[in-house]
Amino acid sequence: MFGSIPLGWLQLKAQKLRLVAAIMGITFAVILIFVQLEFREALFVSAVRYHTAMDYDLAMLSPKTDFMVSSKQFPRTRLYQALGFDGVESATAVYMRLVSWRNPVDPSNARNILAIGFDPAEPGFERLLGAEQIEAIKIPDQVIFDRRGRDEYGPVRELMDAGQPVSAEINDRRVAIAGMYQVGTSFGLDGGVITSDLNFLRILPTRKKSAIDFGLIKLEPGQDAEEVQARILEDIPQDVRLLTRKEFMDLEIQYWNKTTPIGYIFAFGAVMGLIVGLIIVYQILFADVQDHLKEYATLKAMGYTHGYLRNVVLQQAIILAVLGFLPGLGVAHLVFTRGADATRLPLEMSVESALTVFGLTVAMCAGSGMMALRKLRAADPAEVF
Amino acid sequence: MATDARIALEEVSYSYGKGALKKQILFDIGTRIEAGQIVILTGPSGSGKTTLLTLIGALRSAQNGSVKVLGRELLNAGEKVLIKARRQIGYIFQSHNLLDSLTIHQNVQMALQLGGVNGREASNRVTEVLNRVGLAEHEHKIPRELSGGQKQRAGIARALVSRPQVVLADEPTASLDKQSGRDVVQLIQDLAREDGSAVILVTHDNRILDIADRVLYLEDGHMKSLTEAVSEGTSRMLKLLEKHDPNTANYLATFSFALARIAYADGEVCESERNEMRRILHEVAKLEPAEVDFIMELSMMLKRTKSGLDTRISNPALDKDRAEHFRDSLYAIAHADGNLSSEELVEIEAIAAEFGLTQNTNPASD
Repeated sequence: MFGSIPLGWLQLKAQKLRLVAAIMGITFAVILIFVQLEFREALFVSAVRYHTAMDYDLAMLSPKTDFMVSSKQFPRTRLYQALGFDGVESATAVYMRLVSWRNPVDPSNARNILAIGFDPAEPGFERLLGAEQIEAIKIPDQVIFDRRGRDEYGPVRELMDAGQPVSAEINDRRVAIAGMYQVGTSFGLDGGVITSDLNFLRILPTRKKSAIDFGLIKLEPGQDAEEVQARILEDIPQDVRLLTRKEFMDLEIQYWNKTTPIGYIFAFGAVMGLIVGLIIVYQILFADVQDHLKEYATLKAMGYTHGYLRNVVLQQAIILAVLGFLPGLGVAHLVFTRGADATRLPLEMSVESALTVFGLTVAMCAGSGMMALRKLRAADPAEVF
Repeated sequence: MATDARIALEEVSYSYGKGALKKQILFDIGTRIEAGQIVILTGPSGSGKTTLLTLIGALRSAQNGSVKVLGRELLNAGEKVLIKARRQIGYIFQSHNLLDSLTIHQNVQMALQLGGVNGREASNRVTEVLNRVGLAEHEHKIPRELSGGQKQRAGIARALVSRPQVVLADEPTASLDKQSGRDVVQLIQDLAREDGSAVILVTHDNRILDIADRVLYLEDGHMKSLTEAVSEGTSRMLKLLEKHDPNTANYLATFSFALARIAYADGEVCESERNEMRRILHEVAKLEPAEVDFIMELSMMLKRTKSGLDTRISNPALDKDRAEHFRDSLYAIAHADGNLSSEELVEIEAIAAEFGLTQNTNPASD
């Protein structure tokens, strides 16, 4: 109805204090939902940082490997077998293990760090390491350090930036830091060092060269990853898994989301935010309907339908959703900018997450509106005479 | 035109509750109301007036008989039919029932919007009707900023803006002072006459009975003819007066009816006439103000039924003193509002003729 009277908005506007309270309540709920969902998203993005940074088309791993940091080994022969298939260009063996890192400034302070070893002659780490760094790790007992690791590893970044040589003890073996790369932390990972396969075995003398953690397979240009994957799996023994990039990342995300309580906790937090918002909006709309019951009964007596009044209440719900969402978006943006600095987690507001939260907010308000509508049935036009 | 009355009720009954708790409110109500008629529905509280109004107004559906409003049968009607009927009826509520958060203009527009009238045309019609009820300069105020009478006038504008053929009003003067009440009723009457609407006005307020073309009297759910109501009322009044000397009761009844007739002669009773009547009747018979009001109401109805005083109350014997006092009192009432109008003089002469009082002759001295 063009040019019709926006009754819902006029009624909301008439009670300024209640409107402000409603908007603040929804804003609070929106922030809560944003923060929880965004932390959850950050968890997933950060969990696959190495998965994303490494260069490969297919990844080979042990079927026992649930997630990257606690990888199990499988025979290197399988990777070399894969190399024999048509369309496969290269295969890189990768060793991974959590090792003990001693703070170079305060050696009494030890902390786990992820050590990654690979054959510097093979590809796979070009996005992480420069050519000089790949040369540097060929030298015994030299490693490259993640400059975006947590501060607890000591002031490596500051010392390196100042041009001073830094060395630290990893698993009681002294190594020199030959450079830095950038990945960042995740919920299971505080920092990392990358080195050659030989240096890796020096740090972990009990590990065998023939048992590797991951195999990175690069295909010739124009090859279909799934097709090659199927061909390889058909022929090699089934004691390894061969995954595409996407499957490899999904495996990691599924682990954090489903197997650990972490994904659940954040999802639960977001649901709590929704419920809090739902209750606030319901209270406000219920009180509003209650206050206007006589007016609604009058409108019914004049010939307005229940449907019209339902639209008025839903209109109010949507208005509240929009008015509460906008400040919530602003505050959440601020929280993320600060939170990203403090946690080094990839907290950033994407258009998709903003749209998701807006959708949730509208659904939350509309849901509350629906509940408040039950009260509307009490508007009996015969009562107004 | 008699066949398509705006409102036609036949043997309408209505009960609340079910089973053992069932309580019948209305019994076999029947009447017809034509275009342009203003009908007052009156009777004591709890008599079923409001229930009857909600049946006609399509706010409930009737359970028995036939309720036809603008040719649409509302007996056992479903929600859709009721809503259609409601849209063709203008409602004036007891306490205006305006929407607090809307301006007066928007409130009135809400009624037009129902008929799909929007935009400039709606705005023009709203302004026009607000002009008619004298609220043009208050158009953009919210109800809180208006007086009770102004709010009720806004309610009338809302009821009448879509020019409904049926207008229902429930105690429209209940929350208003005497003058605003009078104005509001006058307004309903004028507007309804202009638009040729059929109007039903529920009221307790006997000060406005005189605007009606017809008075329907409801008691305990039964519709009574005014004559029945009056004869019951008259016997109640005689009982009331019999606390005095039974012989004077008859005289007092005649006397007070005559006074009321003078007070009503010019079409309305003003407060000074009412006070004068209270004074005289208190002086003569120690009647309480409420009793005087009852007599006034009764004589109002008597006037409507045109049942003569002589049929109910026999011609009292008037001695010289009483005749003089009678005559003086009639003039005192006529003078109470400050001027002696020609209608009042005619009425005095008529009463004088009925009872054999003439200007210069004394019936006692032969």
